[in-house]
Amino acid sequence: MKCPPFEYHRATSVDDAVAALAAAEDSKILAGGQSLVPVLALRLARPTVLVDVNRIPGLDGLDVRDGVLHAGALVRHAALARQALHPLAAAAAASIGHAAIRSRGTLGGSLAHADPAAELPAVLRACDGAVVVAGPDGTRRVGADALFVGALQTDLAEPEMITGVELGVPDAWGFAEFARRHGDFAVVSVAAARFGDRLRVVVGGVAGVPHLLETSAPSGTGALDEVAGALADDVDPSSDLHGSAGHRRALTRELARRALADVITEPAREPT
Amino acid sequence: MNTDHVPASGTPVRRKEDTRLLTGRGRYVSDLVLPRMRHVAFVRSPVAHARLAGIDTTEALAVDGVHAVVTGEHPALASVALRAQSALPGYVETDQPPLARGKVRFAGEAVAAVVADDRYLAEDGAEAVVVDYDPLGPTVCAWADPAGITDPVHDEAPDNLLLSRTFRAGDVEAALAAADVVVDRELTTNRHSGNPIECRAGVARYEAADRRLTFWSGTQVPHLVRTQLAELLDLPEGNIRVVAPDVGGGFGVKAVLYPEDVALCLMAIAMPGIPLKWVEDRVEHLLAATHARDHRYVLRAGFAADGALLAVRADVWCNTGAYSVYPWTAGIEPLMAGGLLTGPYKLTDYECTVRGVATNTSPSGPYRGVARPATVFAMEALLDSGARALGMDPIALRRRNLILPADVPYRMPSRLVDDSGAYEACLDRAVEVFDVRRWRAEQIRRRDAGERPIGIGVALYNELTGLGRAASAGPRMPFRTGHDACTVRVNPDGGVTVFSGVTSQGQGLETTMAQVVADALGVAYDAVDVRIGDTDESLWGFGAFSSRQAVIGGGAAHLAGGHVRDKVLALAGALKEVDVADLDLRAGQVHVRGQEKPIISLAEVARVAYLQSDRLPEGFGPGLEGTEFYDPIRGAFAAGAQLAAIEFDPTTGAVRILDWVCVEDAGRIVHPVIVDGQIAGSIAQGIGGAMYEHLVYDEAGNLSTGTLLDYLMPTSGEIPELRLDHVSTPAANPTGVRGVGEGGTLGPAAVVAGALGDALGVELDDLPVTPARVWELAGGRP
Repeated sequence: MKCPPFEYHRATSVDDAVAALAAAEDSKILAGGQSLVPVLALRLARPTVLVDVNRIPGLDGLDVRDGVLHAGALVRHAALARQALHPLAAAAAASIGHAAIRSRGTLGGSLAHADPAAELPAVLRACDGAVVVAGPDGTRRVGADALFVGALQTDLAEPEMITGVELGVPDAWGFAEFARRHGDFAVVSVAAARFGDRLRVVVGGVAGVPHLLETSAPSGTGALDEVAGALADDVDPSSDLHGSAGHRRALTRELARRALADVITEPAREPT
Repeated sequence: MNTDHVPASGTPVRRKEDTRLLTGRGRYVSDLVLPRMRHVAFVRSPVAHARLAGIDTTEALAVDGVHAVVTGEHPALASVALRAQSALPGYVETDQPPLARGKVRFAGEAVAAVVADDRYLAEDGAEAVVVDYDPLGPTVCAWADPAGITDPVHDEAPDNLLLSRTFRAGDVEAALAAADVVVDRELTTNRHSGNPIECRAGVARYEAADRRLTFWSGTQVPHLVRTQLAELLDLPEGNIRVVAPDVGGGFGVKAVLYPEDVALCLMAIAMPGIPLKWVEDRVEHLLAATHARDHRYVLRAGFAADGALLAVRADVWCNTGAYSVYPWTAGIEPLMAGGLLTGPYKLTDYECTVRGVATNTSPSGPYRGVARPATVFAMEALLDSGARALGMDPIALRRRNLILPADVPYRMPSRLVDDSGAYEACLDRAVEVFDVRRWRAEQIRRRDAGERPIGIGVALYNELTGLGRAASAGPRMPFRTGHDACTVRVNPDGGVTVFSGVTSQGQGLETTMAQVVADALGVAYDAVDVRIGDTDESLWGFGAFSSRQAVIGGGAAHLAGGHVRDKVLALAGALKEVDVADLDLRAGQVHVRGQEKPIISLAEVARVAYLQSDRLPEGFGPGLEGTEFYDPIRGAFAAGAQLAAIEFDPTTGAVRILDWVCVEDAGRIVHPVIVDGQIAGSIAQGIGGAMYEHLVYDEAGNLSTGTLLDYLMPTSGEIPELRLDHVSTPAANPTGVRGVGEGGTLGPAAVVAGALGDALGVELDDLPVTPARVWELAGGRP
């Protein structure tokens, strides 16, 4: 479990990082390293150049403008969990791994890695958010629905780098997940966000990309069960060591009920 | 100076090892750096069963920094094999090569070793070794139909059966026929392993000029390793020094001499003057360190209407893996399973056939509790089924069948002799501490209120600890692990150094031995320093396994301390012309009994013994030390009872432990905090095996749980607050102790499974108890 040889470049700016990424054939961004370094140690990836973006200034900002949280790509999970501007992102970030993982792992890194069971991709989709991407030809904006292409696959091209993240602040939200142990990747997670009368419910862990159900926000008795049921019918999970397909479907229904309990009946709450 | 001697035993004295271990100054094998040292990485088979058609090392040797690539055909290794021996009839002896020869028998088996300047380069070299595998049919399951075997694991055993033995007492068929109720269970237990925080590690150095080999190893059994290396390497045993420095957990996994260890030493001999270091990583560890507990139990039990257990018939298959683990043999799990299945319950009619079956999986070896976490699960499942069939309270049914103090010594149907009889005392205390009535009331309240169900799980067990020469006879290996030695030396300044044969992997043996010697000799705890783990320092010890060290190593320490005390008093008496029978040694001072003022200090007696031979009285030689062996002949059974209340969520399958009580009989406790730590740690490992840990192979023999992302070990977040309590019935050994190293692991599988059955009214036949499984058993509502 020692990584294969690679060149190391410490980027001083986004332009410098993009140039370094473009200059090498098989380069990889090193941000928090919480997914990449284990993959390197297992020799499942062997990039020729690691471009370390940790020292690039100005990528750790957090502020809300016009109901949208603008977050730098280097915002650590711990910082996201601590902030009160976007309580859904805070609740989801607090559920990531353990303290050591949260103090190193980054928002941009988690989205670029696109693990289908990870918390932040689900939040990005639930909030219909977007990432700001820098590349050799300038910057572009990629919406959540287009970003996630498959398990560990995104719309990003090799020399591109996520520099910022935009997350709409929902009027009501809920987050629930089920993990085998404290700090594990969720077997299933559900993030729900309501913007006006529009409801977006996203399930993680049941498909290659976070699974989205978009609907007009229901009301009245039975609405909660109706949405949870629709989600459970909608997902098509597979079985693995940590849960059968049927179990994941049952978890989807129950976690959706828990996540939606706050969205459908209550106004926004403080992060827990 | 206060001369009152406060006994060190029984008090939570500060642990001797903690200053270094808790401040990051432990000295582990991986900390060892020697001049000219090189690093080793093993090339491991990616397939479960294949002929080795060729190994091409050319590219690997071309990697910068790689010095050598060694395969099983290397002349230094080609004739060496680890061959676990037993005289049991029907046991099939097989060879395990240090590096694969001819074929590989499990995914993860080492086929080559790369020697390089550092571990990174060694892994670069290992990647470049090209191995041509010619696939053979793999066997993964130990109870699959032998007719399906196309390619046996070992040619010597065409049916893969390495060992089979039937334990028989009374007439089980007649007893079953006479029973009022007969219950059947078919159970499977989950393969898992010890997973110490420090993986395996070794540094081997050979000095050709004097033919001396030093092997630093994170082993639990340095003396045994020395003996085995001497045989395998054809070196005089006195030329080999094995050192186990600080070791980060063992749990049985490190009580094995591994092929990698032997390969490392053979390579070091082939490269004299160049120390070779191998520090295993977690991927290797999960793949190739010993596994355990991959068993199947087909059981039938008969009960009388009043709950009396009349008969148990059992068929047991233990997955031995690809090799008969050295030196313990393929018998380690099956023999323990058959010998102790009936646990703390009285039974006369018993028939149990156990089998050790070779498969193309990592070898099974000793793991804390050896087989009994599985057998207790099996036995308690039978009792839970019996209670259900009889309409009896499960605790009452157990109580009805326990070995009681009046029955002791009780000859179990496997002929082991139980000396405990403290089971009812443990159960009574556990029921009281746990407050069964309160939890039963809560169970009913929840049922009526439609809240999440809870179940109460119970397990009783007898942990065979400190096996003496009679109790360790079962496996009929060419050595009997009944004894340990201890040397107590009073230094010229009156300080005391103890050279004990015990070893420590974190369980505080330096402290325990110092406590025992301080009391036996009559000195302060702080005056005693303990050296362990180095075969050049201590005379002999079999090491850490079978919860034996407090009993056997402690017994030897007590006897050696007493021996030296006698010498001190004799010399003091002769020097001061006082009758030795009137003398007493307390806190390092020699007193005439009943007198406050000492007549001479231990330091002065020591000065005479070493430095002032002119003052030595007639008949006394210089020096002041003594060595004693101790063998308890039989063992000290330790009773234990665990009770838990566990909540099960039928909607998600979530399992939440609400309360967990354990009461054990450690006999006379030497260090209360160490004892509680042992019990808590072993319950935590038991919960890991019951709910989380599962080494899963696919049908081709690939390990599906190859990292800690998929092999789930419990963390502090998963382990509940444990409520520990004790009963004390001192054992008939010098210190009155009973071992506590393993007992805690024995209960949890039975407790969690029992609680699940109690909560949901279902019978669970396999482990671990995962949320997906609970959800299924609760009806699997989508």
